[in-house]
Amino acid sequence: MTMTLAELTDLTGLDVLDHLERQVAIPVVDGLQAQGDLIVIPYAFVEHSVSTHHYTRWQDVPAAGIELLRSAAGGNPHSLVADPGTCRFTGGLRDATGLALGMIDTSAVAYLIHPEHGGTGIAPGRYVVRRQRERSTERRAWSANRMIAD
Amino acid sequence: MPPPLPARNFCWPLVARLATLASELRERMDDRIGQRSSSLISWTWGVSGTGSVRTMAPEEALAAGVPVKRVVEALVYDALTETLRDSVCAPVRTELLPPAVDSPGLAWYGQHDATWVAHYDVMARVGLTTYLSDDQDQLGLWVELARSTGWWWPGEGMCVMAERPTEIHTEPQPGGFHGELRLHRDDGPAVLYADGVQVHVLHGTHVPEWVINAPTVERIHAERNVEVRRSAIERIGWGAYIEQARLRLVGTTGDPGNPGSDLHLYDVPRELWGRPARLLLVVNGSVEPDGRRRRYGLSVPDHLEDPLSAAGWTYGLSGEQYAGLVRRT
Repeated sequence: MTMTLAELTDLTGLDVLDHLERQVAIPVVDGLQAQGDLIVIPYAFVEHSVSTHHYTRWQDVPAAGIELLRSAAGGNPHSLVADPGTCRFTGGLRDATGLALGMIDTSAVAYLIHPEHGGTGIAPGRYVVRRQRERSTERRAWSANRMIAD
Repeated sequence: MPPPLPARNFCWPLVARLATLASELRERMDDRIGQRSSSLISWTWGVSGTGSVRTMAPEEALAAGVPVKRVVEALVYDALTETLRDSVCAPVRTELLPPAVDSPGLAWYGQHDATWVAHYDVMARVGLTTYLSDDQDQLGLWVELARSTGWWWPGEGMCVMAERPTEIHTEPQPGGFHGELRLHRDDGPAVLYADGVQVHVLHGTHVPEWVINAPTVERIHAERNVEVRRSAIERIGWGAYIEQARLRLVGTTGDPGNPGSDLHLYDVPRELWGRPARLLLVVNGSVEPDGRRRRYGLSVPDHLEDPLSAAGWTYGLSGEQYAGLVRRT
């Protein structure tokens, strides 16, 4: 089943900026896809560097969604939404790069929605969500890298 | 070497006696409240931040068993420390009282002292503590000062008081969970005083006036502070900066998953960031309201040889993996 951005915003109560095209079907992707500073990675890509803990707890993704990350200005979140009972998420991961926000495990199409980037579909499967980093430009920074927040 | 201080504090200059008075007041009030928990809490509530009271909604923190005093402290003291002391007071102080200038003496910050004044005031107001009657009266005076003045400098028989700023421009602090703000204004000074004194700040970075009004490549390369340099480049725009600074192109390739957009990798002159680095110029996957796509520059390690590896590195992936990107929004 395909969905348009208009249907997705109606269904979830989340909104996107007016200039984004609302009537076009949202593509559903089962591979690597990025939304701004977030990337959704099929688990097979990173199974050697990312794992769950024995105490990892999963949460069901409600229709209203889970906020994965907010933008630098504080206002614009990336939200994960899905039909209740079809998708679960956990933040309890071990990731060698330290970039993982969590893992998505979904049996139906789930969606990532963002006010500026619009929506994108995630095919059933298991994925790791990572955020983006860059090399810190400060010589005395506590870490050599820093996170991007667009 | 300064002369040794007189032994008894009533002989000290007024400014020192006032500081002692305030510090003793705070100690007594801390005793009444119970131990300040900020220093301990990061260990007990996880340094990762996920379970920290600083990143939890108040209801959530209380439900998780965080003591109510600690929740109020996070909402008031911690948030005000970031908003007022670190984000407002610090840049204003750097601008108005540069280290090279003779210090006009110990300053009190009036409204900007609200960081600690509000902490003690709120603890009592919400019934989490009571102070000795004299202490409550003294605290009342500090509250009155925080409500009614800018910075002030007490002296023998006189007091210099500054007006509060006439304009303060802010934006939400990224990662702030309790309404923390930082200074920001990109079309003028972020802080303005009635006598025309100005402080320029972009997204929390204190910058010289030229960054707002006349950023140029020459000024950027002559600037010593990297955060100022970065802010100035963002003013010009990464694309225009790369062109004007004639950065050497290492490689260009199409951005997989972002049809029609390219990834460009550049060598950055060592003097820009003070260490070897490369710059990846990327294009946003979605359009802005004006129909354009925003370009921005990401710093990457200098060992990355091609744009795909550089783009992959930003997500902890290899170049081959990033080449498989299906879609970017």
